[in-house]
Amino acid sequence: MDPFSSEGELLTPHTSLYQGQYSSVLDFDTNSLSPTNRTAAQILKYRAQIALGQSSAVLSSLSASAASSPDLTSVRALALYTSDKKTEALSALESLVEKEGENGTVQVLCGTVLALAERYEDALSLLSKHQGSLEAVLLTTQIHLATNRLDLAQREVTAAKKWAQDNLLVNLAEAWVGLRQGGSLLSSTSYYIYSELASTPSSSSASSLLAQGITELHLQRYDEASASLAQSLSPSSDLTPSIKSDALAASVVLSLCTGKGTGEAWGELQQQQSEHVMVRDIEEKGKAFDEAAGKWRAKVAAA
Amino acid sequence: MQSSPSMLTKFESKSSRAKGIAFHPKRPWILVSLHSSTIQLWDYRMGTLIDRFEEHDGPVRGIDFHKTQPLFVSGGDDYKIKVWSYQSRRCLFTLNGHLDYVRTVFFHHELPWILSSSDDQTIRIWNWQNRSLICTMTGHNHYAMCAQFHPRDDLIVSASLDQSVRVWDISGLRKKHSAPTSMTFEDQMARANSNQADMFGNTDAIVKFVLEGHDRGVNWVSFHPTLPLIVSSGDDRLVKLWRMSETKAWEVDTCRGHFQNSSACLFHPHQDLILSVGEDKTIRVWDLNKRTSVQSFKRENDRFWVIAAHPEINLFAAGHDNGVMVFKLERERPASAIHQNQLFYVDKQKMVRCYDFSKKSDSSPLLSLRKLGSPWMPPRTLSYNPAERAILVTSPAENGVYELVHLPKDAAGAIEPTDARKGAGTSAVFVARNRFAVFSPSSQQIDIKDLSNSATKTIKPPPGTTDVFFGGTGCLLLTTSAVVALYDIQQKKQLAELAVPGVKYVIWSNDGLYAALLSKHNVTIVTKSLEQVSTLHETIRIKSAAWDDAGVLLYSTLNHIKYTLLNGDNGIVRTLDQTVYIVRVKARSVFCLDRQSKPKVLDVDPTEYRFKLALVKRNYEEMLQIIKTSSLVGQSIISYLQKKGYPEIALQFVQDPQTRFELAIECGNLDVAVEMAKQLDRPKLWTRLGTEALAHGNHQVVEMAYQKLRQFDKLSFLYLSTGDESKLARMAKIAEHRGDSQSRFQNALYLGDVDTRVQMLKELDLYPLAYATAKSSGMEDECQSILEATGFTEDQITLPTMGKALQPPKPIVPTHQANWPVKAASHSFFEKALLGEVGGLEEDTMAASNGFDHIDGAEADEGPTRDGALGEDEDEDAAGWDMGDDINVEVEADFVNVESADAGSGSSEADLWARNSPIAADHVAAGSFDTAMQLLNRQVGAVHFAPLKPRFLEIYQATKTYLPGMPGLPPIVNYVRRTVEEEDTRKVLPIVPRDIETIASVDLQEGYGAMRSNRLDDGLKTFKRILHSLMVNAVSSQQQVKEAVKIISTATEYTLAMSIELERRALSTDGEANLKKSLELSAYFTIPKLEVAHRQLALSAAMKFAFANKNLSSALSFSNRIIANGGSPKLVEQAKKVKSQCERSPQDKIDIEYDQFAEFDICAASHTPIYHGSPNAKCPFDGSLYHSQYKGQACRICEVCEIGAPASGIRLFAS
Repeated sequence: MDPFSSEGELLTPHTSLYQGQYSSVLDFDTNSLSPTNRTAAQILKYRAQIALGQSSAVLSSLSASAASSPDLTSVRALALYTSDKKTEALSALESLVEKEGENGTVQVLCGTVLALAERYEDALSLLSKHQGSLEAVLLTTQIHLATNRLDLAQREVTAAKKWAQDNLLVNLAEAWVGLRQGGSLLSSTSYYIYSELASTPSSSSASSLLAQGITELHLQRYDEASASLAQSLSPSSDLTPSIKSDALAASVVLSLCTGKGTGEAWGELQQQQSEHVMVRDIEEKGKAFDEAAGKWRAKVAAA
Repeated sequence: MQSSPSMLTKFESKSSRAKGIAFHPKRPWILVSLHSSTIQLWDYRMGTLIDRFEEHDGPVRGIDFHKTQPLFVSGGDDYKIKVWSYQSRRCLFTLNGHLDYVRTVFFHHELPWILSSSDDQTIRIWNWQNRSLICTMTGHNHYAMCAQFHPRDDLIVSASLDQSVRVWDISGLRKKHSAPTSMTFEDQMARANSNQADMFGNTDAIVKFVLEGHDRGVNWVSFHPTLPLIVSSGDDRLVKLWRMSETKAWEVDTCRGHFQNSSACLFHPHQDLILSVGEDKTIRVWDLNKRTSVQSFKRENDRFWVIAAHPEINLFAAGHDNGVMVFKLERERPASAIHQNQLFYVDKQKMVRCYDFSKKSDSSPLLSLRKLGSPWMPPRTLSYNPAERAILVTSPAENGVYELVHLPKDAAGAIEPTDARKGAGTSAVFVARNRFAVFSPSSQQIDIKDLSNSATKTIKPPPGTTDVFFGGTGCLLLTTSAVVALYDIQQKKQLAELAVPGVKYVIWSNDGLYAALLSKHNVTIVTKSLEQVSTLHETIRIKSAAWDDAGVLLYSTLNHIKYTLLNGDNGIVRTLDQTVYIVRVKARSVFCLDRQSKPKVLDVDPTEYRFKLALVKRNYEEMLQIIKTSSLVGQSIISYLQKKGYPEIALQFVQDPQTRFELAIECGNLDVAVEMAKQLDRPKLWTRLGTEALAHGNHQVVEMAYQKLRQFDKLSFLYLSTGDESKLARMAKIAEHRGDSQSRFQNALYLGDVDTRVQMLKELDLYPLAYATAKSSGMEDECQSILEATGFTEDQITLPTMGKALQPPKPIVPTHQANWPVKAASHSFFEKALLGEVGGLEEDTMAASNGFDHIDGAEADEGPTRDGALGEDEDEDAAGWDMGDDINVEVEADFVNVESADAGSGSSEADLWARNSPIAADHVAAGSFDTAMQLLNRQVGAVHFAPLKPRFLEIYQATKTYLPGMPGLPPIVNYVRRTVEEEDTRKVLPIVPRDIETIASVDLQEGYGAMRSNRLDDGLKTFKRILHSLMVNAVSSQQQVKEAVKIISTATEYTLAMSIELERRALSTDGEANLKKSLELSAYFTIPKLEVAHRQLALSAAMKFAFANKNLSSALSFSNRIIANGGSPKLVEQAKKVKSQCERSPQDKIDIEYDQFAEFDICAASHTPIYHGSPNAKCPFDGSLYHSQYKGQACRICEVCEIGAPASGIRLFAS
């Protein structure tokens, strides 16, 4: 039986991982599990740790347990990559992909590493080997979205819906596609998926509230968006640095959209998360502006 | 047979056999006449016996209320008809005449007549005003069992044990008794001739039809309220339906079903139904059109004798062997559900309709539910799923059925549902986007189903579950007769339980944090995790409730709309004429459905509960607002405030000094307390004030209180403790005056004044004490003198060993000069707001005037009135530089290339934007700054882009959000659009912040504010920002383009005006040249087209400046302009004064370049005049004018565009 299925033992930590409730993944009690699932649960915990930015801790505990299984090796590859040992990670991964390409964990984790390295083609070809793994579907969807292939993402989700309707992961993929597509798909599917996640007690977390806030923002329901974002930014165990910075970025956009300038959130974001995509993007664009404006200055001077 | 589910008993009484029943037409009363000779008056709503009337001898069979007067009539087996007043609670008079039992009595609906039928085989009509018998109708040859007036026509129908039903024409009687004076002789003749007399020569009432068909005696007969139909009940166990025309009457059909004598029957007042009762202990309901049984209700032991219908509302009453029951045939609560601004409900025709709250408009029917359940049973509940636009309807028919239907997109009339999915269950609610729960009580099971109606999960609810409700996402609320339980569907476990009996409805607050549980007589408010917040009890049945946006619950009882706050404070909002079901509350409007299933809007005054809510939430600004805008004063509010612990707020409302004193003490506001104490001047108050002030450490008030109370000892001690020695000395003197030695001693002690003490002791002949005192203080001389005076020697006296004399400590800090650090009086924010409000206003007027220091009291607050001065310029621009949109093509080509270069990935949304739009702002949003700059250059001649940097980045930054994706991967980028609904990727466009509405309503007002309060530097920045915001922007209509152009020109004028004035201020006034320039600039300041109020400021400044420098001609022209503009009387008054002075010698002392009669503009660079017709250059964006030598430079106003550059005109809207 699939341990992640609705009746499986690992349902709770698995869904928690995808709802961004990393701390509850780490708190999950593995003692009562069957031995096979115990390893799987451990891998989930490692992934949560990596998502929390504790890659080095993962690395040290992995070397202790003499990582030999392909599953653990792929965890190690991800941990290596995220702790800035990129070449080491990629070399560790090469052989693994070749030999253990059929292993679900390897697919997802190595796929993640490849996606991080922006080797999207390789990632997709690895993921295409999956056999009914929704995680692989979800990762594939995100890669398609990252490469602006909305059509392929859409196709991926439609196919998955046929055999796994109403699973959290499919819902997420559907919501992502809806957000990118906009229009009625955004207002019906994405919005309802996220508002349901955010309002159900078991799945409500900083991450789902943030997602709800973002959909509301896209729908120009600014008051609601403001409430959701504020709620997601309120201190909680789920509020990891990366979610916080995304929430701050969304707050900046909200503040701009309501005509209030960039607001306090922008300062906070620049100060605390100088590596965030938005901060870097705006920095770059500032330079791009100066460059473009400079060309005109030259023209004026010449005239 | 079981009691049918849809017959709803509202009231039951226990008594002896009930033979007659009458409903009061307006009040919730019924009269019941009993076999035991008693007549009862019941309030069936409250379930109380109001009165009993016992004067008849033997059974009373007939009873009726008068429609308008406080009267009723009864007829009994004592052959008597009695007319009663229920106000004076007595029988007014008795009509005698019948010779046997009186069976029925009825009032006429308008004439002062009573109709009676009797076992003496006659039917009689009585005039109750002159208490006379006016007509006796004979013809029946057995007991006349029932006789009734026609509801409109001059007809009577009667039933008799002679097996016949007769219809009588009484138009003759009416003619005879109505206005006999106006009848001419001819009329009388005509009537006498036309009316054919019956066999007794009686022309007043004649038999029109005799209806034969029953083959036993007929017990009851009734007219249809509107149709020419008659229904009768007989001992042959049949209910017969008859129809009549002008000339004949015939039997239509028979309703068979009673298996014993049928005792009474009637038509349903509104629906096509017949109701009948019988001695077989049943009430039966028949379909009028099909004459088939619709439903029946059986009592265990009691035979039914009579039935009555309420004339207006959907209520019936039936009398039986052991009392009366009042019942409804069906629920009148329309099934409904709310989503955002829409109400979905089922109307009386069983059509689903949609009502829009914001437009207050009703849709045409969306869907017909005719086929759901039984035709006579309305659906019970409706649950709406916005994601699927589907509804889930339940009906109580067939022991509960539900139907899942998708609503059509548009209201296209009542179509029959095509894709309905059905099942059995009493309750069905959506619990998630694609799941609903169905409960069936018979199997005690809840099925969670998906939208294809197949069960995905089954839940065993707690035993005795009666109903299920939505319980927040993924949860259900289960009710049993005693408790409510919150159940998590996913985890399959009960999360919480609360003992609330008999919950019938659950209403969730708009934010989903609270729910109101409605029982018959209770409202319980709980949190979403089912913790009780408050509960309240109503004696009258609670019907419905809805939350307002602020979190106040409004609920309706049978006759009131009331409110309750979360903390349980409640009150009445308004009374109701008829019962309504509240569905939503929005500001002052309460939306509800009435019993006819029609949406209604009721106005309510939310002041009281808003105020109380603001109080609870400590939202003092709102309270202040409410106090200022509404007349919310009164004892109830004051006592409420006091009770709730807000004496400081109550203080604001009270005038009565005593109450004010109490409140002030309570909230520690000593200033007010002192004021009131002085006013009242009662010792008791001073005592309390003293105690309170002491507790605060406010010793000055304490001193005052002690002085008032003449408490010298306490005063002395107070002075001691504050270290006020001078006052202590004075106290000592006062004590001496009063001859109070004790006090003197005390004061001396406090002062450390040994001399006085010794002297005083000596005076009092207390030499030993005096000696001891002197000795201990080392006053040897004094000792000696005492010894001398008393004739003792030192040896004779033995003193205990004494230490050093104690002296009171000396004050180090003069604390008496000021109060001690006083306990912070609870100056609430509210008070501050009240005070600050006044202060703020003053400040405002100050600000308005003090900048222009030589203007006093300028009235600037005229509010923005737009004058569209530069509107006409637009055409000129477009015509001059019609360069078309060809740039678009070029841009597009660029992007095609980009795309094909990168084959693996698709084009991002940002690329689409740039491709979809010729508007610079959209290119900025797409991050394509290069093309945006090209566009701006072509459109408005922009070259100096640096000032636009914040605007560019602002737009760009607002376009992307970052959504967390897979754990470990960077977030997913999404693109924010302004075209939210758009599906076509060729039309999607990005959001552009600071849209035209925001600029008009926020930024522009900010700029005006800066002008008004003379913060010109800020104002200049604001207006420049407006110009930059508009230069790179997008609007949604041609109308808005016009608006934008208008704002651009306004901002330009203000920018120019402010720069001129700022230049003048920077200029020193020393020297002739500077003064001349200053005077000129102040004159030019009046030229830009500002709002009138602002221009008055400029004019007034210029006038005074010119006047002060003896440029009387200029001053005169300014004063004339001020007067012409009008406005603030003070300003005009001043101008008139200046004018009268200037007119004496209108000469300018300093010659300036300002021709008051010429038409000119101001050059925005040099701030000198450009006379009309002279060569000039223009900024292609904002239209500011320059002397032609500035051509090619950067515009001083917008700082971006090149003066005089060729341009096609700003493009903000892509049609």
